[in-house]
Amino acid sequence: MSRPVSHATVIAAIVRKDLAEYGRDRLWTFLTVLVIIVVVALFWILPDDVEESINAGISGLEPTALVTLDESEEGVLPISFESEQDLRSVVAGDAQAWSTGGRTLVVAEGAEPPPGGERVDVSIGLAFPPDFVEATSAGRATDVTVYVDGAVPDEIENAMASLVREIAFGVTGEPLPVANDGVGETFVVLGEDRAGNQVSAREGFRPIFVFLILMMEMFVMASLIAKEIQDRTVTAVLVTPATVGDVLAAKGIAGALSGLVQAVIVLLAINSLSPQPLLILTLMLLGSVMISGTAMLAGSSGKDFMSTLFYGMAYMVPLLIPAFAALFPGTASGWVRALPSFPLVQGLVDVTTYGAGWSETMGELSALLAWCVGLFALGFVVLRRKVESL
Amino acid sequence: MADQAIEVSALSYSYGDIKAVDGVSFSVAPGEILGFLGPNGAGKSTTIKMLTGQLQPESGSIRILGMSHADQREHIQAKMGVCFEEKNLYEAMSGEENLRFFASLFGIKGVDTDQMLRRVGLGDRAGDRVAKYSKGMRQRLMMARTLVNSPDVLFLDEPTDGLDPVSAKAIRMLIQQEAERGAAVLLTTHDMHEADELSDRVAFISEGRLHAVDAPENLKLQFGERSVKVRVRTGDGVDERAIALDDSSAADFLKSAVESDGLMTIHTEEATLEAIFIEMTGRGLEG
Repeated sequence: MSRPVSHATVIAAIVRKDLAEYGRDRLWTFLTVLVIIVVVALFWILPDDVEESINAGISGLEPTALVTLDESEEGVLPISFESEQDLRSVVAGDAQAWSTGGRTLVVAEGAEPPPGGERVDVSIGLAFPPDFVEATSAGRATDVTVYVDGAVPDEIENAMASLVREIAFGVTGEPLPVANDGVGETFVVLGEDRAGNQVSAREGFRPIFVFLILMMEMFVMASLIAKEIQDRTVTAVLVTPATVGDVLAAKGIAGALSGLVQAVIVLLAINSLSPQPLLILTLMLLGSVMISGTAMLAGSSGKDFMSTLFYGMAYMVPLLIPAFAALFPGTASGWVRALPSFPLVQGLVDVTTYGAGWSETMGELSALLAWCVGLFALGFVVLRRKVESL
Repeated sequence: MADQAIEVSALSYSYGDIKAVDGVSFSVAPGEILGFLGPNGAGKSTTIKMLTGQLQPESGSIRILGMSHADQREHIQAKMGVCFEEKNLYEAMSGEENLRFFASLFGIKGVDTDQMLRRVGLGDRAGDRVAKYSKGMRQRLMMARTLVNSPDVLFLDEPTDGLDPVSAKAIRMLIQQEAERGAAVLLTTHDMHEADELSDRVAFISEGRLHAVDAPENLKLQFGERSVKVRVRTGDGVDERAIALDDSSAADFLKSAVESDGLMTIHTEEATLEAIFIEMTGRGLEG
């Protein structure tokens, strides 16, 4: 005997009802619109450029040598100082360096800056001895003092040592004598080399913003589910031809639809739906389904608005970690990569920032699909048990 | 179609070690109202949950309109209406939208919500959100929702509980109209007057077990006394006497009392349903 009412009819009716309820919930509607506006505004406010050069204060070298350095060392901007004492005091923060009329003036901290001058930040200084050129040309050992601010990382300090060798080579045309003659240096970059392809703050925050929209969706859906359980309206629905499966499928569809639409609005507003719109939409759809599954878990756990908010936060915090890790490419450790939201965030970064295509993101898509199925199934089972226990 | 709209046989259910329903059997015919009487925790709601498919019986069988939940759940639910004790309505939606939504779950298109809402006295509040409804209005909307699919079987769980007399009367009238239409009605209540007024038969349930299923009149006759109490004004006061109807002098006494100018009242001495319930189960209907 066929069903008196088709599953599609029942599911469509519940989806329409859920979306209407969502639209009438003033608190969640206000928060949703607010988050979208804030996210889009923040995105466009954030700087889109990347400062790739570092100011290196130099003392004791002729300007001709600095020209050589300027041409040879990408990313290093030499700032000439008249004396080692000036250089030291600027790096130490006791004085300020100001560029004016092609010269660098050093004024004491708190003193009046020169008119029309431009402040120059110098956190690394190289003090060359007066006989540097003669000594290196003659192959004699000589000392170059490197001043570094305490906040400068070790990697930069080591780079400065290499820079000194580079300058010596540039000035004299000869390499510095080295003790381990014959031993070369080989650099192997593991993973994708992002050197020269740095991520701007705007690009870095993009996955966080998109993910925030999905997180907002999770709170909304969890709240609607918890309310339906708390008010026992779901019981009234389940004594009609609607099945538990119909109700849960409708919740999943309503959540995924709503999350997807909002995410697409934000992506369009931040001009991030290109160059692979279909791929990005696929990622967002999978992400929305995954979030709907999580919303079912949170909604089943919560008994009222506050407890739903608490459980929502409990699920949200770990899911947000990969989005923040995306701010610092290559820093995501193993456990971060194991989180369900990581493939979504990584996929978004790869596509929107580095222009990856379907083949490059297949790994993330597969992992995301697996998490989607897993979380949705888990949410489905937990919510079913909750509904059946009413 | 089956002779009985609801057929229940040896139905049992336990919550852990507690036997909530213990071997309950009864039936309800089309057009009949069966009042399910019992105090809170007697097993009424658990029985209704099993009958409406919300709980799986531990043992026993249920047939609704000749079908079983096991293989024809959706078909049964398409023909039944359930009115819950709690007011589980969508408060952000209007009364009209609530009815439309539930009609769509039954696959009903173009439902006349205006007529349905007028029927329960909510015609002028159709567009208002349920959150603005009073308790009585919500209960009337619950009844309208219960009837949205013109059900053949009605399960009504305490439909007038806590309502003002006017709302309660309106709902009782609806129940009677539905029974006259041919719907089988299972009405749970702990209000003996309501059960007495509405029910064709009543079932007494206590501690999960059925103690009696019969017409109220039969129970009253079985457990009440065949006597009347007559109050007659005499010269210096009021004479009150209980007259046994089986007594050979009863007819003469009543005749003379009726013909006298001093007759004040004549009351039958039949038992109330509550008194019968207490006698049969050893406990009252409240609490």
